[in-house]
This record gives sequence, structure tokens and C-alpha cells, in this order.
Amino acid sequence: MGKTLMRPLEGIRVLDFTHVLAGPFCTRLLADMGADVIKVNSASRIQINAPAGPYFTMWNRNKRTVSLDMNHEKARDIASQLAQLADVVIDNFSMGVLDRWGIGFDTISQINEAVIYVQMSGMGSGGPWSNFVTYAPTIHALAGLTYTTGIPGRKDIGLGYSYNDHQAGLHAAVSVLSAIEARRHTGRGQRIDISQFEVAVNLLGPTFMHFFRNGQSTEPSGNDLQYDRIAPHGCYRCKDHQSDGESIETWIAIACLDNAQWKSLCRVMKNPDWSKDFKLSSAVKRYANRRFLDEQISDWTRNFDSRNLMDTLQRAGVAAGVVQDGRDLMESDLHLRRARFIRKIEEQHPRMEDTFADKLPIDFEATPCELYRRARVLGEDNESVLSDWLGLDSESVSRGEEEGYLR
Amino acid sequence: MTRENRALSNVRLVDLTDARAIYGVKLLADLGADAVRPVPEDGDPLANRGPLDESTGESLWYAFHASSRRFFRMSGTPESTQQLHLLCENADVIVANSGHPFESILDLDSIREANEGVVVVECTSFGKDGPWKDYAAPDLIAGALGGSVAITGDVDTPPLKPFGDLNFTVSGAYVAIAALAGLRHARETGQGQIVHVSVHECIASCLEHVFMFYLFGKNFRNARNGVLDRRGSLHWTDLYEVMAAKNGHIMVTPTPSLDNQLVWLIEEESFDDLLDPKYQEPGERGQWARRMMDVLRSWVAAKDVKSLFFEAQEHHAPYGWVQDIPQVAKNPQLEARDWWSTTRMDGKEIKTTGSPYQMSDSLVSPRKVEEIPVSEKSVVETCGWGKH
Repeated sequence: MGKTLMRPLEGIRVLDFTHVLAGPFCTRLLADMGADVIKVNSASRIQINAPAGPYFTMWNRNKRTVSLDMNHEKARDIASQLAQLADVVIDNFSMGVLDRWGIGFDTISQINEAVIYVQMSGMGSGGPWSNFVTYAPTIHALAGLTYTTGIPGRKDIGLGYSYNDHQAGLHAAVSVLSAIEARRHTGRGQRIDISQFEVAVNLLGPTFMHFFRNGQSTEPSGNDLQYDRIAPHGCYRCKDHQSDGESIETWIAIACLDNAQWKSLCRVMKNPDWSKDFKLSSAVKRYANRRFLDEQISDWTRNFDSRNLMDTLQRAGVAAGVVQDGRDLMESDLHLRRARFIRKIEEQHPRMEDTFADKLPIDFEATPCELYRRARVLGEDNESVLSDWLGLDSESVSRGEEEGYLR
Repeated sequence: MTRENRALSNVRLVDLTDARAIYGVKLLADLGADAVRPVPEDGDPLANRGPLDESTGESLWYAFHASSRRFFRMSGTPESTQQLHLLCENADVIVANSGHPFESILDLDSIREANEGVVVVECTSFGKDGPWKDYAAPDLIAGALGGSVAITGDVDTPPLKPFGDLNFTVSGAYVAIAALAGLRHARETGQGQIVHVSVHECIASCLEHVFMFYLFGKNFRNARNGVLDRRGSLHWTDLYEVMAAKNGHIMVTPTPSLDNQLVWLIEEESFDDLLDPKYQEPGERGQWARRMMDVLRSWVAAKDVKSLFFEAQEHHAPYGWVQDIPQVAKNPQLEARDWWSTTRMDGKEIKTTGSPYQMSDSLVSPRKVEEIPVSEKSVVETCGWGKH
């Protein structure tokens, strides 16, 4: 009590053995909120962790890095010493890699009782699929996310990005912060086993309850709200936008969740005759005739600029939004511009041109998290990390670099 | 409510959320937070969301999202307003969506004056002020403006919404993180604070390649004006795609080792022109990888989907068999990990999904929901929420 912290997670030490997106996204969140995150780059895994590419820089800001050749005993010894001092050790390698390096949970928790040890593998520890290799698109397919996100008759659409990697990272952060709260009362850390597959299946909870309770599967239904049977609810083409001599399609999403919104939409459309058709006179009927409804609305929206139409509809009380792509988010999004959502990182990256940060979408009134430091290159923080955590002097670090166990 | 060994069993939470953040409170409540949800006298506005239990008409969506709660029915009287204030004055965390049913009667300033350590997480669609602050944004609209809809779908479909509430589960997870980080700060310093979460920013922060394509577009062959057009399941790297096998669909990728995939194709004599020396030329590696995807499409088309999936995993290739809901429901890995859980609704047990994390020393799972009876005892007393 009585302490002052500039950011909410200051004082938390995280040893980060993660790679690609799911794990780094979790540790990025912790770092953004002030945790001292040390990313361990293993020389034998440099290809995956390639630290001078745009992808890496997006997910590894605000961390420091130490680079170890884990084939070398002295490097494994340093990793063990760091793990003994960490509040959190986290990895998303295949099961057993950290055990082979002598820094598995059973070993480290003997010495560091308070350690929170997170393993976020594809399938979790134990079970016939525990050694399966997965990336987010694998998980989407196995968990039912690919099947359900699509249109009737198609099973090959799914999500257009590695959605579940982000969710696995977010859920890992929830579990870490919960274990920190638990430790406050017990004094003990614990092991957390995160199956990225289970994270994904959990997100479809109501769909599985529908299956178990009602015996019904759920089929892909495009933009229809199939459980609530509400219409209109979809994306409608608007007037093409001209840019650099190129015609770019634009879309608007419209959702009328109740009769009042439907009536407002009709008013904005100037109550066309088709909207007065008996077959659209109730929510149930509108859903039953949703294809007809979608065609009529599309014919109407095609005459409008999507952004003007969104403003008009929202002013009339109808939920509507432009379908924004990356360029829209960067150039036309009034909210993101106001929030300075994308920021150029001031410190120049030694091997890249400008690098950028998308802001943490959490604004703490008393402890703002406004610090964005660039991703580090291999071994860049060897000296500061090993000095801060282990008290090594620069001579010892230089010796390690000469001998090759530090890179 | 039983006090089991749960990570957040010392956390008292007042839940004033709607669909945008209710998943976050579910996460916290299933981890053990004592979450009390005040609801209007005429019922919770979320309690009718589908899917419904077809025999009772009860909402399964609600049973999932509102698990592990205590419910406190507000009567609309000054006494119930006072009860709500007392609850908030004894809470560690308040999670509230903008526009919640009790916004006009809740005096946050006086609550924070009485309870300096309370963390208040305010979740809005587009911030507290600004040009879009009053825009209505259910999941479809939030995803459209947030960027997830534009990158989902195919060239011959409209942009598609990720299924279900996949946008709001992102904002919900962020809300849980905001509450826990704020709580950690409050535990260390004794000082609570207001923490703001914008759904729009949450969705935009989870778009993998989208901002990278705009900011580093020149590095990406397939970027058009800084954008990758929607193109079905084909990943931005061009190296992951759902392909049609003889009797099903499978997500196929030659990563992490294109060379290993080539060896497998050679073993099966299906390598086509992939050994052509022209692909050895400098700068031709990308062309070779794309050619490999073409070869894989033909090769996969003649395969039995199940055998191919297991064979791929034996080759350490991260293929993913596209599973429908009944197939996932009987997945052997989930069975072996005893993963599925149960929740109770109207006195009946319903099978539901398990926890997204297993903790060695703390239980994580839905608990029985409870209605707090209106009696002479105050709500705070009934909950056992005296001063910590």
C-alpha cells in the first residue's frame, strides 16, 4: 500500500519464450501495461523469431530481449537463473521443449515457488492430440470456426485472419493476471495449461449448448442472425468509390434488431411500396423473407456513398456501419484518428525504416499506458537484462558473447 | 455461492454489462469472482438471446454468458438504488457498459469517494466522446467498422461477419484484462481508477496482418493500395488454405517446412514441376511456394480427408480437418482432457464448453447461478460483502 506505480503491471517480471503471434500477443499486452518482459531468442529458433521483419515488430514492442544459444550449457544455466527470478514464465513451443532445456515447471517451481508458469500449446498437455502441430488456421478448422463462418453450401471460407491467435493471447493474459491475484493470497504460483484449441471451442459456447440441449447442429448462414431470426441483418453494396483511377467496391452493414429500427430504416428509404408488403410486417416474417428483403435493400444502398449513408442511418436510430478495410481504418476512421490508434515509434529501428504501434485499447485513467518502444534486435539487451536481473557485469556479458552462448 | 479454491475468490464484482462486455465478466466469474448482476424488475434485456432451449424457451446464450453470477432484481424504488450503491461501495471491480439500465441512477463519483480502491471498467462502442460515441453497434456493425468483416468472405460473397459474437468476445476478453490489471494496481497501491475500453479499438487491435499491409505494403506482393482483398480462406502469406479433399475439407499448409512438404510429395510422386531448376533462381522462392499450393490442391483433391489429416500430423505438418459442430462435440482430445463442463439452468444441468485454461491450483468452471432474495437483509449482507 502507498506505492506509486506509473503503469499497472510495473514490478512484474516475465520471461518470454514465445514465438509467432499467440504467445507474443499475450506478452505484448503485459509489456504495454508495464511488466518487464524479457523475450528469450534462442539461436536455434532464429528463423521463426526473425526479429527484423514487420510481423515480428508488430507483436514484440515494449519488450527487452536476450539472445541465448540453448544448445550451450551456459546458456541453459542463464535461462534457469532468469526463470528462478521471474514472476511469470511463458512459452508456446511444442510440449516438452522447456523441460529438455532444464527449465520446465517441475524444476523451476522447486526453486521459485511463486512462479506462474504458462504453457500455451496448440492442444494442451495430455491427450491423444497433445503433440499435434497447429497454427491459427489449423485451430479454426478443428474447432468449428471455419465451418460456421461462411455461407450455406461452402466449407472453405472461415475467418480471413489468425483470429484465434489473438484470442489465445488475450485469454493467456487473463489467466496470468488471475494467477497473480491468487498468488497475493496464497503466496504460491501455479502452472497454467492453455490449449489454443480449447480457447477456440469455448468461444462457440452457445452453439455447443444448442447442440447438446436441442440436438441441432449449426450450419453456416452468412450474415444472417440465425438464432435470433432477425432481419435485415447483412452487408449491402454501396456506390463504388473512385481512387487513383480505380473503382473500389464499398459496403455497408445494416442491422435492424427491433421493429422501431425497421420502421426508421423504412422512413430513411422513404417508405417504398415493397416495404409495406404484408410479408415484411413482423420480425418473424421479415426473417422468413430475408432474401427478398436483402435484394430490395441492396438495390437501394447501391445509390449511396457508404459513409454518408452510415451517418444518415445512425442519426435515424438504425445500427449501420461502413465495412472498413485497412485503408479505411487508417485514412477515414474518425474514432481511430482521434485516439491516435496507430503511432509511429519515435526510436529508429536499426534494421528497418519506420516502425509503428497500434495502441493498447485499454485506457487507464490513473496509470496511462502510453509508452511504445520498438521491438529489439537479436541480443540488443543482453547487457541490460543480465545486469538488471542477474547482476552480471559487462565483462561477463562480453565473455558470453565471445564464447557464443550469448548472441 | 460455494467458496471454492478459485483464483479470484477474493474479488467482488458488480456486473452492469451488455453483450459487448458480458463475456469478460463470465471469464472473471468462472475464475471465482463473486459477480453480482443487478437486473431490471421486468427481467434482463439479454435473457432472450438465441439459441433457446427448445423445450423451455430459456436462452442458452444467456446461460453461457451469465454463468457463475448472483442476480439482484432491482425494484425501481429508492431503497433498491441505495442497495445498488452499497454494493458498489463494497466492490473491488465494477464493470459497466455505456447505456446500462441503471446508468442514470448510479452516482459513480460518490461511489468512488466512498470506495477509493474500486476499479471501474467502462466499456463503450466508440469511446465516451467523439463523433461516433452514440452510434449503435451490435456485433455485425462493430465488426464492419472494426475491420474484421472486410477481411472475411470470398471474392464471390459479401463481406462476412465472423460467426456468432466473435467480435464481442474480443472486447469481453479485453474487459477482463482491464479489470485484472486495474485490480493489480489497486492491490499494490490502494488506489482504484476508471479504466476505459472501446470495443472498436479492441477489434482493430486483433486483425493480424491488416495494419501491417498498410504500413509495410511494399513488402507484400499481394497488397493492393495497402489492402489485402477478401479471398476466402487463403491466408495473407499465400501458404494456408482450406482445400477440398475427396470427402471433406481440410486446411492445408506446407509450413513450417516447405522442404519437408516437398519430400512428402516426392514420396507420393506428386511433385509435378516443383523440382524444376527455374525455381532455384534468386527471388523465385515465393513463386515456388505458390506453385506448391497449386500442386497441393490437386494432390489433396484425391485424398481421404481423415487419413490425410492424421498422416499430415505424423509428418509434423499443421493441417486442420474442417469439423462441423457434431464432430467437434465428440473430439477425442477434448474427451481425453475431460474438458466439457456443465452449467445449471432452471434446475437442469446443461452440458457446455469447458474452460479456456486449466490452472494447477485453482478451479475454473461455471458455477450455479443464484438469485439474491429480497428480504430484510441488505444485499451486501446477503453477499457477505462487509469491509475486506
